[in-house]
Amino acid sequence: MKENPLRSKRAEAAVTLPSFVWLALFFAVPAFIVLAFTFHGHTANGGVGEWSLSTWRELVDPDYPAIVWNTLRISFEVTLWCIILALPCAYAIARMNKRWRAIVAGSIMLPFWTSFVVRVFAWKTMLHPDGWLQTCYFSWLKVSDWLFDWLPGFMQRFLVWAGFASNAPLDAASSTILDSEAAVVLVSVYSFLPFAIMPIYTAAEKFDFSLLEAARDLGAKGFYAFRKIFVPGIRQGIVSAVLMVFIPAIGSYVIPQMLGGTNCVLIGNKIFMRAMQNRNIPHASALATLMAVSVLVPLGMAMYWKKRQNARTSRRLERETARMIVGRGGEA
Amino acid sequence: MSKDFLVFDHVTKRFGALTAVDNVSLTINKGEFFSLLGPSGCGKTTLLRMLGGFERPDSGRIYLEGKDITDLPPNERRIHTVFQNYALFPTMTVWDNIAFSLKLAKKPKAEIEEAVDGILEMIQLSDQAWKYPSQLSGGQKQRVAIARALVDRPQVLLLDEPLAALDLKLRQHMLIELDAIHDQVGITFLYVTHDQGEAMSLSDRIAVVNKGKIEQLDGPAKIYEAPATRFVASFIGDTNFFEGEISSIDGDYCLIDVDGFPQIKAFNDKNLAVGQRVSLSVRPEKIRVTLNPPLPEKGASINVFPSKVKDIVYQGVYTKYWATSSNILISALKPHSRFLLDQETITWNDEVFVWWHPDDGYMVEAK
Amino acid sequence: MKKSYFSSITLALVLAFLYVPILLVVAYGFVPNGVSMSYFDANGAFTGFTGKWYAQIFTGHYSVKSLMQSFWLSLTIAGLATLVSCVLGTTSALALHRWKDRLQSIHYALVYTPLIMPDILIGISLLMLFVAANVECGFWTILIAHVTFCVSYVAMTVLARLQDFDDRIVEAAYDLGAGPWYTFFHVELPILLPGIIAGGLLAFTLSIDDVVITSFVNGAGTNTFPTYVSSMTKHSRNLPSVFALSTLMLVFTCILAGLSKFISRKQPQKTKGK
Repeated sequence: MKENPLRSKRAEAAVTLPSFVWLALFFAVPAFIVLAFTFHGHTANGGVGEWSLSTWRELVDPDYPAIVWNTLRISFEVTLWCIILALPCAYAIARMNKRWRAIVAGSIMLPFWTSFVVRVFAWKTMLHPDGWLQTCYFSWLKVSDWLFDWLPGFMQRFLVWAGFASNAPLDAASSTILDSEAAVVLVSVYSFLPFAIMPIYTAAEKFDFSLLEAARDLGAKGFYAFRKIFVPGIRQGIVSAVLMVFIPAIGSYVIPQMLGGTNCVLIGNKIFMRAMQNRNIPHASALATLMAVSVLVPLGMAMYWKKRQNARTSRRLERETARMIVGRGGEA
Repeated sequence: MSKDFLVFDHVTKRFGALTAVDNVSLTINKGEFFSLLGPSGCGKTTLLRMLGGFERPDSGRIYLEGKDITDLPPNERRIHTVFQNYALFPTMTVWDNIAFSLKLAKKPKAEIEEAVDGILEMIQLSDQAWKYPSQLSGGQKQRVAIARALVDRPQVLLLDEPLAALDLKLRQHMLIELDAIHDQVGITFLYVTHDQGEAMSLSDRIAVVNKGKIEQLDGPAKIYEAPATRFVASFIGDTNFFEGEISSIDGDYCLIDVDGFPQIKAFNDKNLAVGQRVSLSVRPEKIRVTLNPPLPEKGASINVFPSKVKDIVYQGVYTKYWATSSNILISALKPHSRFLLDQETITWNDEVFVWWHPDDGYMVEAK
Repeated sequence: MKKSYFSSITLALVLAFLYVPILLVVAYGFVPNGVSMSYFDANGAFTGFTGKWYAQIFTGHYSVKSLMQSFWLSLTIAGLATLVSCVLGTTSALALHRWKDRLQSIHYALVYTPLIMPDILIGISLLMLFVAANVECGFWTILIAHVTFCVSYVAMTVLARLQDFDDRIVEAAYDLGAGPWYTFFHVELPILLPGIIAGGLLAFTLSIDDVVITSFVNGAGTNTFPTYVSSMTKHSRNLPSVFALSTLMLVFTCILAGLSKFISRKQPQKTKGK
């Protein structure tokens, strides 16, 4: 079959090849190299050894599972905080008039015009041990320690086991906010919050706010209407916000590097350490593979969920159309 | 063949399993206003796009003035298209849009200016020359699109549903303008539409297309009054079909036996024999509805059937009636004129007479 | 209506949270004591502001030499990466938009996946490629890496622009006698230009801000502005110069953004008046 001359194969090749070859060479091929390196051992002088499964076997090393778990846990905490803060913000912006909406939405993105590293550095300077943030942090530790003592024993043990709490006694000298997990979470929330607000705001902008008034009219209380009508109405925005925060949080490297010290090492730091300092390339590759998996799983889940959602709406549409046709046939 | 202007010779085009154009042969004369009329998806746009060079036929050839143009790319044909949504270049002014083909042909500057200014005058948009397409109304965009395609005098102008995006008033206005433009430039126009009204009012000849085939190729009046097929009769305008069998023949006329209905007298234009099945198409405006039976006429007796009014729709220009006679629903139109109105007004469930002249029925193939 | 108060207050607090570090960046650029990074001396007395860090930047003082070097390198790489990725991204978007076959679905996956992968994975995999190919890391490897992650952003921005336009416009150009090159430069490019500029700006911002990928592929001694800053310690002597330079960049981008807004707002009014 001859084809449309505007869509000729030769023209297609000419415009496809530049980007295709570039990305294949510098994105796809390296990804396969990484995967291949995980099935090699490493040599003492920093090279890549023979084909073997030793790298995957060594990953059971108690160090690695803990780091993977910590990364997931911190990413989860960061995502949770971001969504909690982003929901009311997006709601507030979406309810403004058009002019203010543009101004506020713009000013949420404005901090990105300053270098990310410089902003993290500003935080680092702000978090130094004599600062007011340190005082706040230590008071928070004391309060949470006091709350922790009130919990039943099994919950204390669970929280300690999962890494959400520690039962070591509080000590002012070692409890600095700089070089702690709290600093990493705080600055991560700071960095990723705009990425959570924007998609939720975009969804909220399309939300029909008269629905909320209708719900109130029918006797729903403010927060109930917000939770039952607004939140489901912007579900798609929340899903993209979660992905927009969770994925970079998993891959986080600069923030734990600059603010986490030795107390908060995440996969990203470990990859860098193995690749650049210990020259253990197979280990770095294996960790990178693990990271890719932890990114692809939530992404795949979100896509599957969206597909099912679409299938459900299209089925409903079909049913309604069928009913309409039958109804019209009945009238005639 | 060489003296024919534009020829489709056994052209077929498939898209996967769908045969969009099925072995179509067609000849279009020079200077003619020719329409391809059919429902959406019938293949008329594919025919047009093959002529424009945007699709290549799977088999068959296309000739323009005796030259085979089947494999020429669109930019090497002197055939221009007016697209449905105008496809004006948004980053160019009206003037630059129209001058596009002339600049490409590297015409001298003075000649370009003369031609563009001339055609702008013809479409009455001289004062809008420096506006961008986004600043124009739908009708103005349409005229610019036509001017852009006409300015370098193509051999054929293709118009792909050019009025579909306009509202009714504007559409009627543009119909008159299009006709005037065609008279003025004398270029062959090939017009694709699904709107029978547009095709009827503009065309010298119309090809009615259905499922990739041409059902009938004739002048507008012939297509309306003497549809070649059942599809043409039902697609062009409104009609009543009576399905039956020829029971007797009387000279030029015959009687048709319709199930559970009195016999219908009709002109036997197809020269059918007794026993053959046939469909009789009778246009609603040919049927009269009255409370009293018609006076018996001289010569050929007419078809008269007592019936009962089921529905009445007032449409301004006319009123449409639906009446049943022996369980067959018949629609009829009645214009609002003192000469034609009866003394009494007809209302729902009235016992009435529907009647028409045997010459007003037209035979097409049976279902 | 209690709900709105709650959300408005949260929004105000979040905005404050987002802007405090920016204010600090500006403030630290005027601090006299570059070691303690404090406006107060040991006795708690206020020490005033200084412009000496700005002076050092403008006079090219020897202490900011490597900082300025890294800054110019960042600008060079960002500029070149933007240029290359605009070309590759535009052709990529054109291909993805016009053809819908198997090749394009693989092409789309190639363009889309870098957008969802964490930077560090792109960094490590490129490093592995350069290790496997035995390439010395430096300027060129940084440039390659930056182009790789910028192409996708440009392609997606241009693709969005393409989807807003009627494809028949290209057919119309062919129909009126134009060939593929003439059509591209006179019809498609002017339409796509706003999309390409937006994509290019995004690419430039991402490139000049990237630290993760660069720190994998920069090799020894080649530092861009972000990797230079991240390697500094808190007690680096010219920390305030970094903040001063960042303040300058912020002011510069604000002026640029304001200018582009001013121009884009003025244009439709002008044409409307005609």
